[in-house]
Amino acid sequence: MSEHDETFDDDDEDFEDEVGGEGNRIVGGNAKAVVEHVTRAIAEEPDAVEVELVERRDEVALLVHADPTDMGRLIGKRGRVIQALRQVTRAAGAAEGIKVSVDVIE
Amino acid sequence: MEWIEVTGRTVEAAKERALDELGVHESELEFELVDDARSGFLGRIGRTDARIRARIKPLSREKPADKRRRRRHEGKGEGGESSGGSRNRKPRPARSSGEKSPAAGAARAAARTPDSPDAPDGGAPSAPKPRSRSRSRSRRPAADRVQESTNEEQTMDTEVNLDEQEAVAVEFVQGLLDALGAGGSVRTSRTDDDGIALDIVGDGLGLLVGPKGATLAALEELTRAAVQHAAEGQRARLHVDVGGYRQRRREALAEFTRGVASEVLAAGEPRSLEPMSAADRKVVHDTVAEIDGLATVSEGEDARRHVVVRPV
Repeated sequence: MSEHDETFDDDDEDFEDEVGGEGNRIVGGNAKAVVEHVTRAIAEEPDAVEVELVERRDEVALLVHADPTDMGRLIGKRGRVIQALRQVTRAAGAAEGIKVSVDVIE
Repeated sequence: MEWIEVTGRTVEAAKERALDELGVHESELEFELVDDARSGFLGRIGRTDARIRARIKPLSREKPADKRRRRRHEGKGEGGESSGGSRNRKPRPARSSGEKSPAAGAARAAARTPDSPDAPDGGAPSAPKPRSRSRSRSRRPAADRVQESTNEEQTMDTEVNLDEQEAVAVEFVQGLLDALGAGGSVRTSRTDDDGIALDIVGDGLGLLVGPKGATLAALEELTRAAVQHAAEGQRARLHVDVGGYRQRRREALAEFTRGVASEVLAAGEPRSLEPMSAADRKVVHDTVAEIDGLATVSEGEDARRHVVVRPV
């Protein structure tokens, strides 16, 4: 999980090891779990899907890394899939009291 | 299933209109091009609209999944992890003939042969063909159903398989609930038109409905994407609901529509309703259709699309 550490480079004390899991102690943990679940269910290469969580000032950004061949699938026709994913993820974030953004990148 | 013919500036626009009139999701639409839009020479006079014929996909129709099939054949060929079960769940209704392109017709005829009544099971050599791609997540569809069908490789890719699709949908939604840390369970049923209906039940699920049902609509969209991805061939119509929210809403909308209808009848003037989704517009169309002396038409594009109720 060490590749996640850079995400938290402004020395977060004690939870770097938990970032990759579906642990709920992490801010945005549910939202991240949602994004992981959905994108892996839709991707042709689920194992290549990696969701990076970046804490920003007033929101949590979830960056979906996936196989380039899965981009279209994850975005969907006219962005339908990504829009729907954002909607559901927002709901997950709202339950935790945070704002969440979702983006798919290669 | 009835065909309709619609036109639009582009094929896309015509399709949009067809979706609208039929009140279905894109994945449930079958259409063929009658006439492409022509811009006229160098955009000059003589441009024509695109014209398409469309209908709601009948469930028994195999969908030639050629691209996927090809890819699978040359690619990952490891084991037949799961092959479509319940092949002969129901007899295929006869198709209306002479309405599809020769190519599609031929593909369909080919795919159909093995289980047509005069070609009973057996006889087919039966190396089970790898059908599903290997996936990291587990599939629930019971293995016991799977075996009965291994001797009909021909129809593998194209089989309608409601049970399998339902299992994928349930697994997907249940996984999503878990990820959300939400309790709740998923109930399933079949709709009159052989669609799959999922209802998520439990406490505190308002979160999943969202403002004006937006989250629920998104949830449905994602579930559809997951099922489309996992299931081969024809997809079933899929409906996702939370605690009967949509059901109640449909009833409320029908009730509201009847109110509007009687006002239109009394006033003799047409009335426009607010913009609605295709599914909602369908409720309005259907409700008004039962009332004598009134007709409905959809007007406006995209997000502005709305129903007008008018006296006839």
